Amino acid sequence: MRLGRVIGRVTLSQAVPSLTGARWLIVNPLGREQYRQGLEADITLSKEPSLVAYDALGGGVGQVIGFVEGREAAVPFPQPTPIDAICAALVDKMFYHPAETPEAPKV
Amino acid sequence: MDTINGRCFMLLARIEGSVIAVRKHPSFEGWRLMICQPIDAHGQPEGVPQIALDPWGAGMHQRVIISSDGAAARVAVGDENSPARWMIIGIVDEPELTLNT
Repeated sequence: MRLGRVIGRVTLSQAVPSLTGARWLIVNPLGREQYRQGLEADITLSKEPSLVAYDALGGGVGQVIGFVEGREAAVPFPQPTPIDAICAALVDKMFYHPAETPEAPKV
Repeated sequence: MDTINGRCFMLLARIEGSVIAVRKHPSFEGWRLMICQPIDAHGQPEGVPQIALDPWGAGMHQRVIISSDGAAARVAVGDENSPARWMIIGIVDEPELTLNT
């Protein structure tokens, strides 16, 4: 699971039958800089490519969510479903205190 | 770092924090969600942090191994419909550096 900021929503007019009525979020994954700024900071975008994630939890624009990528995203569905990213958690609080990273060795 | 679909990874990572989420997939209920920063052999960050389930009670700034094996994570959380993927599978005792590169 990665964390990402919801930056928009998608509505489909046509969809695979198993996905009709689904909610979709456009998510910008948090980079290290965004982790450092925390949840309350002004919204800044990371350089990570944004993606669309299926959402059954009710995430809103501006919120930070946890999304699962890969094959596991389709596991919660009873039938085979073409999904690669799913919102699995709405983040309320985040504690982030990165360690002082040691100097990179000079080669 | 990439997470290519269908491929499994085990990564050395450092615990850099934790996440609290009230609304989440029911299978995550009761699990600690730790922010794990993948690192290289020298402790330098590689890529963006991953959120992993933590069955061991790993502490801040400890080194851990995280695995992206979803099948094993589903068994661990006891829900075959869980989207769980990353899980802390062990805590590193002593960092060992064998290659001087």
